Amino acid sequence: MRPGEAHCIACRYFVNDPAAFERALPGLAVLSSARAASRVGDGLCSHHDRHVPETASCAAFALVAPHG
Amino acid sequence: MSDIARDAAASRLGTVPAGADAFWRKDDWWAVAIGLGVIAVAAALFTFGSSLAWLAIIPAKWTTPDQLASHFAANWPRYVAQFALWLVVVTVALVALGQRLRDTVPAFVFLYALSVAIFALGQWASAIRYNLEPPLVALVVGLAIANLRLLPRGLDAGFRVEFYIKLGVVLLGATLPLTLIAWAGPVALLQASVVSVVTFLVIFFAARSLGIDPRFAAVLGVGGAVCGVSAAIAIAAAVGARRQDAAVVISIVIGWAILMIFALPFAAGALVLPAGVGGAWIGTSEFADAAGLAAAQAYGDIAAKVPGAHAGAVDQSVAAFTLMKVVGRDVWIGIWAMVLSIVAATRWEATGITSRVGAVDIWRRFPKFVIGFLLASIFITLVAQRVGHAQFGHAATTDLVTPIKNLRTWAFAFGFLSIGLTTRVSDLARVGVRPLLAFSSGVVVNVGLGFVLSVLVFGGYWAHLGQ
Repeated sequence: MRPGEAHCIACRYFVNDPAAFERALPGLAVLSSARAASRVGDGLCSHHDRHVPETASCAAFALVAPHG
Repeated sequence: MSDIARDAAASRLGTVPAGADAFWRKDDWWAVAIGLGVIAVAAALFTFGSSLAWLAIIPAKWTTPDQLASHFAANWPRYVAQFALWLVVVTVALVALGQRLRDTVPAFVFLYALSVAIFALGQWASAIRYNLEPPLVALVVGLAIANLRLLPRGLDAGFRVEFYIKLGVVLLGATLPLTLIAWAGPVALLQASVVSVVTFLVIFFAARSLGIDPRFAAVLGVGGAVCGVSAAIAIAAAVGARRQDAAVVISIVIGWAILMIFALPFAAGALVLPAGVGGAWIGTSEFADAAGLAAAQAYGDIAAKVPGAHAGAVDQSVAAFTLMKVVGRDVWIGIWAMVLSIVAATRWEATGITSRVGAVDIWRRFPKFVIGFLLASIFITLVAQRVGHAQFGHAATTDLVTPIKNLRTWAFAFGFLSIGLTTRVSDLARVGVRPLLAFSSGVVVNVGLGFVLSVLVFGGYWAHLGQ
């Protein structure tokens, strides 16, 4: 994955912050963790409402607005 | 607006930028660092003629309340010192992992105090007569506290099941010589692989025959066949499953896993299985590391009370479970992700998302705490070689291995209690009949095939594990 490519990690619909991930999936932390190595950078797409790897892409990609 | 949409709307607040998702943000690596650090300190003290034993205290066996009171009266400075050490280590790790300091500290104070009470109860001479095995008591007490809403939800910050269990597994590595892992590992890999593949196929095709979407069926399958919730989440991303599918699998896995924590030890006990055989059976039949370790430790307690049982029944049960579940099943998670990703991309209806998990993900998704487990075993084996096996035997058992084993028992105790403290039934997603039926069909096969392999095929092997 190169900088500037339209992957989920740069999309405004993508959520992979561990705390947000655990809020979205109640019970996840009972027998696992959003901070587990096996989750790598996976996240949730709020546009498709699906699990996606950070390297995925789709036609609905929307670049995150820069800070400031 | 759903929570996840709100988090996404907060833009970067919900996204961890690439590169920031580094090793210090993963509980695996914190467990490895702390576990190996403890082992290194213990080995250094042992080499210079000292020991970690003073700090690694556990409640003593007792018959009367006076004996228990005397134990705590005589040893309270050791408990205070141990508590302070755990508090610092746990707080540093959990805050680095993103938990809030103001929640983590009171949570751990509560967790440690309750763990002492449950540990002490388990050391009561009559505890086994009333089935008061500490892991089972911890689970029941935790469930009651969580579901009666006796604690603020914010304290979940300190009840991190995975962190404590992974730390315990790394410490467990230091109590198993590498020769034992090399001897038992291949059998565990073979047995676990057979059970995993068969269980996955049963759940997947049962789900498909019930009309369930293939991505959902795959997530259900790995939830039952590989490593429970962790596998479900990893494979959900690899195949692009719906969020709600993973939520349902989480609920089903938690339900079955907690049921099995009670059912498997009592079933193994009714069949009077040797500790190692029971541990191996639990290793093929439980769905999550934390739940399985609770069951394996409980069964070790039960097996130890059988007349003629050897002294290391608990250790044998836990070791057999760990080899079967952690070494035999968990390590395949990356391969499952890669294979199912390819199948999803080439065989199943498109979702509009382009995603392909490559071979590099086999390493990226590898459960890194298993590396810590193996490094701990290698380290302790090298120490034994350096000291010489003749001198290592007795002195190391009391001054090096036993203190590490005691600290491992504490780490597991924190984990078992945290399972109950974070399981709120009202939080869990509603489960439909069809996914429950599909998953349950795999449970039947999983338990049955696991029994055949652990007891009938490899029973003699597991019965003599480590002896």
